[in-house]
Parts: sequence; C-alpha cells; structure tokens
Amino acid sequence: MSLLLGPMQQHIPGRKSLTDHSDVKVLMPKERVFIPLFAGPVTKYDLLVSEGDHVDIGTRLANTKSAFDVPLYSSVSGTFKGLVKKPHSSLKPQLHFEIELDPVQTSIQAFEPLNWENASQEEMVSFMKETGIIGQGGAGFPTYVKYLKPQGIHTLIINAVECEPFITADYKVIMDNVEDFIHGCRILLKMSTGKECLIAIKKTHPDLIDYVNKEIQKEGLSDIKVVPVPDVYPMGGERTLVRTLLKKNFKRLPAEVGAIVNNANTAILTARAFEKGEAISKKYVTFSGEALNYPTNVLVPVGMSVAEILENIGGIKDNLASCRLIAGGPMMGKAMVSDQICIDRAMNAITVLKDEEEPAMTCMRCGRCTAHCPVGLQPVRIANAVKMNDVAEMEKRGAMQCIECGLCTYVCPSKIQVTENVRKAKRTLAMKNRRGN
Amino acid sequence: MKFAFHVSPNEQQKHASTQQIMRDLTIALGVVFLCSLAYYAISYGVNYALQEIILLAASLVTTFVCEAIFAKVKKIDIKEFITHSFGWVTALILVMMCPVNISVYAVIIATVFAIVIGRLVFGGFGNNIYNPAAVGRAVIFASFSGAVTNLTTSATPTGVLASSFRWMPGSAEALESFLDTTGGWFGLAMGTYPGAIGETFSIAIILVGIFLIVRNVIDWRMPAVYLGTIFIITFFIAIFSGIQPYGVIPGWLWYPMLHLLTGGVIFGAFFMLTDPVTIPTVPAGRVFFAACAAVITVLIRMKGNLPEGCLYSILIMNTFTPMIEQALDAPQFEQKKKAIIMSACALVLGLGVAFYASSTIRPVKGARNVGEETAMVITQTEQEDLA
Repeated sequence: MSLLLGPMQQHIPGRKSLTDHSDVKVLMPKERVFIPLFAGPVTKYDLLVSEGDHVDIGTRLANTKSAFDVPLYSSVSGTFKGLVKKPHSSLKPQLHFEIELDPVQTSIQAFEPLNWENASQEEMVSFMKETGIIGQGGAGFPTYVKYLKPQGIHTLIINAVECEPFITADYKVIMDNVEDFIHGCRILLKMSTGKECLIAIKKTHPDLIDYVNKEIQKEGLSDIKVVPVPDVYPMGGERTLVRTLLKKNFKRLPAEVGAIVNNANTAILTARAFEKGEAISKKYVTFSGEALNYPTNVLVPVGMSVAEILENIGGIKDNLASCRLIAGGPMMGKAMVSDQICIDRAMNAITVLKDEEEPAMTCMRCGRCTAHCPVGLQPVRIANAVKMNDVAEMEKRGAMQCIECGLCTYVCPSKIQVTENVRKAKRTLAMKNRRGN
Repeated sequence: MKFAFHVSPNEQQKHASTQQIMRDLTIALGVVFLCSLAYYAISYGVNYALQEIILLAASLVTTFVCEAIFAKVKKIDIKEFITHSFGWVTALILVMMCPVNISVYAVIIATVFAIVIGRLVFGGFGNNIYNPAAVGRAVIFASFSGAVTNLTTSATPTGVLASSFRWMPGSAEALESFLDTTGGWFGLAMGTYPGAIGETFSIAIILVGIFLIVRNVIDWRMPAVYLGTIFIITFFIAIFSGIQPYGVIPGWLWYPMLHLLTGGVIFGAFFMLTDPVTIPTVPAGRVFFAACAAVITVLIRMKGNLPEGCLYSILIMNTFTPMIEQALDAPQFEQKKKAIIMSACALVLGLGVAFYASSTIRPVKGARNVGEETAMVITQTEQEDLA
C-alpha cells in the first residue's frame, strides 16, 4: 500500500464452494426458448428467418446493428414463432425470437471452420466478426472489435479470474473444456499479434491452475503462461488486472499499454467457432446465492427462461416474502423485477439473495471508498458534487471514469449506496453531453 | 415471490460498520484511560483516580444532556440520536487531554462547547469542521486555565521542558536534569509522570493505535506522517544547533525522540489527527494535512508562547481541510504529481522551521535550577500539557 494511494482493491468472501464442486446440471427447456435480439441496444436488424420457418442449432437468425455489426444464431432447433417483447437483463424490454422446440434437436454447421494456423490476421478478424461472439465477461462487447487495430499489442490477457462472489461458471467451463480453452488462447494470441498470452487465475483455485498448466505442457506451448493472481475484488476488472500483470495504468482501453483482455469463456467459444464452425448455443450459468435451495451450475441453451431453470433446480426458499434476483454476480449484476427474463449470450450467473438492507447512516468521511476505488476516483467527493448538483465538479472529479464495480458501496461502513450516487453523476454528465451535441 | 429492485451492488461488507469503528475506538480510549487510573491511583492515591472518574462522568453526562436537548428541539428520537452521534468519544478524548487537577465545572463548560459549538451547530456527527474535543480543550486553555482543584502534582515535564529549556536541552547534563522529572527515558516512554490524564502513556497509546490500524479504524498515514515529519524537523534542529550526544546516543537521535515522547503528540497523532470527519478523505490530502500539522506543532513548541502545539496545529489544519480537498479533487492517478509537490512543499516548510528555530534559540547547556523555578511551576501546572 502506498503513501499517496489506498489499496484500490478488497478481498470479498467468494462463497464459491456453494457451486464449484457440484456437478453441472444439463437442462433443456420443455417447450420454447426466447432468444434476445440484443447485442447492446440494437438500432437496426435484418431478420433472416420468417415466421413459421424451421431453424436448427446454428441457423443464422438475424444480423444486428448497434454500435457494431453482430450476427445472431439459433441455440435450439424448432419452429420460429415470431418476435415478442419480453423483460430482459438490460432492464429494458427487448425483442426476443420465440422458438418452439423440436422433440429431437438437430444442428447444422453455423459457418465454415477456418484453418487459423494458415490464415492471416485480417482473415481471422473478419471470420470472428461472422461468428457473432461477444465478450463473455458480462458486458457483451463484440470480441472482434478489440482485434481491429493490433498495432503495438504485445500481450494477450485471458481473464479467468471470476472475482465476483458466488460465480463459478468460468471455473466449470474451463474444467470441462480445457483443450478448447488452450486452443482458443492460441487463436486469440495469433489474432492479437502479441508475443505472450497470460492466463490470470485466482490463487484460491490451485486445482484449475494445475489443470491448465498440464494442458499447456501437453501441447508444449512456451508463449502461454498461467499467472496466479490474489483473491481480491475487482481483480477481474480490466484495469486492476492490467495493473497487476503489467504494472501499468491505462486511461480508456488496455490497448494503450499494449494489451488485449478477453474472458476465458470467450476463448473457448473462439476455438469452437474456428475449429468446428459452431456459434454460441449453450451456456454455463451459475445459479447461486443464499436464497436458493440448491445452488448449482447449469448448462442451458441461450434463451431459456430463468423461471424455468429455477423450477428445475429446486427453486427459491419458500420462507422468503421477497428476494433479489440478480442477473450476474452480487457486485455488478442488476436486480431483475421479473423471473421471465431469458439467458442471454453474455450472462454467466443468476444470483438470488435475501432482500435485506442495513439502514444508511451519516457519512463520516472515513475515506474508505476513495482508498478502495480501483480507478482511483473519490466517490465521496463525487457524491458531494451530486448533492450540490454541481456538474462542473462532477466532471472535474472524473465521474465518467467510474466502472461501477460497486466496491465503494461494499466497503462503506455507513452503508451508503455510494456507487448509485456516482451513477447519478454519470447520468447527469451523459445528459449534459447529449444536450451539448 | 416478489422480486425486489435494488441498485447494484447488492452486497455490503459484513462486520464493518460505523458502530463497530466507534466501539473499537471507545475500547482503545478506555484502555488508555485505565492506564491513567492505575498510574494516578498508585502514585498519588485513590482520590486522584476518583477525580478522573468524576471528570469523565461529568463530561459524559453533559454530552448526553446537550445531545438530548438538541434531539428534542429537532424532534428526533433521543435514543437513536445519541447512539448515532457518538458524542461519548469526544467526551473521552476531551477529558484525557485535561490535567487531573482541573475543576469539574471547567470540564463541563468545555464539554458544552465541544458538543454544541464543535458539533451540533454544524449539523451533528459527520458535519463538523473542527475536531470537537480540540475545540473543548482550547476553551479550557483560553478561559479556564486557573480553574483547578486543590489536588496537586509535581511539575509536568512538558512545562519544564518549555520553560526551563526552551524545548532545547543542548547537552547531556541538561537532558539528565530534565529526565529527572520523568523517571528517565523509561518513565518518559511509559508515561509514568504527571501530565494530561491520558496523554503521557506513549507506549500504551502506540499499542492500542496499532490495534486500531489493524482493525481499519484509523488511517495509518496520519500518525506515521505526523510523527515522522516531527522526527525529521527536530532531527534537523538537532543537527543545525549542534545538540550534544547523550552517552552513546547521538544528539540527532535522542533529541527527536524527546520531542515525540514528551507531551501530547503521540496521543494527538493516534486519536485526534485521525478523526475522519475533520481531515481530508483522500490519502494524498491526509499526508499533506499531517505533514503541515507536524510543521505547525514544532513551530508552536519552539517559538510559540504555549508549551505545546499539537492541539492548535490540528485546529489550524482543520480550517484548511476543505481547501486541501478542493485542491486534490481530481482522479488520484491524474493528481499524483500535484500531491507529491504539495507534500514536498510541506517538508521544505518544515526544514525552514528547523532552520529558523535553530538559528534563533540557543540550546540550554546547563542543568535546570530547581529553586528558581518553583514559583513558576505553580502557575504553569494548570496551563501545560495542552495537546
């Protein structure tokens, strides 16, 4: 800990043992799935199927246009019944493909595999664009975009940290698919034009570290290394991860310091796309939290409804009048007001917690939020600016740099929703910028 | 099943609350207070220890009465207001800064000032600008320094050091005659000499201070930087003034140690400078705050009229807290250079003070003349050990 800066991170009890050593439950929806037409807020889309069409696993359903082009593929085989608006994990209702399932599932190759060992970087990136793979860390940023400008990249960082409490989906998916995982790392490393690939795994998962190391040795790879990282939050955040591994800070994107960061599951999906021509269809999702009867990992097709999964795994504890259903982990995941949401491609966990909250007290200016902020912001000062409604100060205090990791609220001894105050500042600034344009 | 909405994050740290922080702080202060009780009971008799308890009780009762009236006026639930206001911590610190022979009414008036003027008029806990205990103690010092009971103690070392040696015992002989009043270095470190009720027990305070740092109750930067800066400044004073060695210990080592162990700086460093309400929230700002407070402390000690400077250095720096926060408001990585420059400036200021002090004060080389001083000590006892 330095004199002028705080620790900028914090150990959070992970409670991973609720799910990491139990078997993954493979579930199939009974009747239908709803595949979200979502890749970031979609502004334009071309439907490639019409109502009543039969689709297979791997059938291209649509091309979407948001900030970037992302195609969508079907995760099941069945009959396309049309687009319906349903609640979505983005908190706004979105269009979903309603697909009635076949009794027997059939699949087709979504696209031709690519021999990546002989392909050029540009070929690989344009192939990647067609696969529709989006980042599996939670934000769902299209993966190919990170590889468009590979100049100056020297390190590929594969993020297998899973710093959010409760979530073990990445741990499980790597344990079950280690070969695909390492192949994915090799593909991404080649596409990044970097020299070295660092796989970050928490020290507290030594079994996973050993397992991955064995696979690396088996393939005789010298440019891929596992780096154990401390069990602190937000270790899986790009900034903290790059700071820990490369001892460098960046302002906006890791590419500024020569790094690309991708999630572990993204690597697995990449390997499957390049080598087998498969698009995203099934997902490992952790269902955990103290309000669940039987926390477990599930393997389900994209688009299966959360309500149906909950029903299949034993549901929520009966003695609770209300609970919090969180899409994601408890720190960054958003609370859903309906269990009718469906599994989306970037979702890796559903956490169900008791609806309890300690009352907030007066801020005593202890400075823990400032000392722990992984970006180095001063949340308490930003909150003060919000209270004064001083937009200039919000900007000066760097509110827009906030990554909303939630650590300031977590460490606050006065139980103040600090993160929400910073979010208010971000909304105010975003509104001002929009008006300015 | 109802699915409740809540803004993320949906998880907050268990076992870390304002109540826990204040409980730890109360325990820590209680331990030091017990040390004091034991010392006065053993060295001076039970009635001295009893007087301490009466002082504390008076201060606590005054605190609760003031807060209850305030809560009544503001139409807030009295019990909840008092338990969430943590006024007893202020009362504890205030009493521990007073000498044992102070009269009860002075403590009551000081407590009223500390609680009402120091805290409640600003809006209560979390909103005050000045360290409330320091406000109360300053009131005693300014207006009630003569308000003493007939309990007497021998001359306090801080007073002797200020009046007989001008904080500058320059030779082994002078130091020896000073240490006679404290029971040697050991007594100085243990705190077994008269002074303010809770300020003298340096080793005990450091130990509970470490406990508080480990428990994440206080910021380690404040005592570390404050005491470190005092050490550095007095180190240079010793070098500039040519303080002579004491046996094998060179002057540049024992002289700073004398500054740290005598008077209230250690108590102030761990219990007053760390009051989060009145110091900047950002670590860099805290470093600057503590460094400046150290410079002012040494300046008041060496050149001021008061025997001690810790208390006023804290009050003066409290004034600058909003300004420091304003200056260090940007994201911390972007302002790191600025913070380093600010702290370096504070250090340069400290060196200036060291040079000023050593060029204007001649070290006292001889032993003190006890007879000449007796009259002075009597008027001095009530004023000294102001932290």
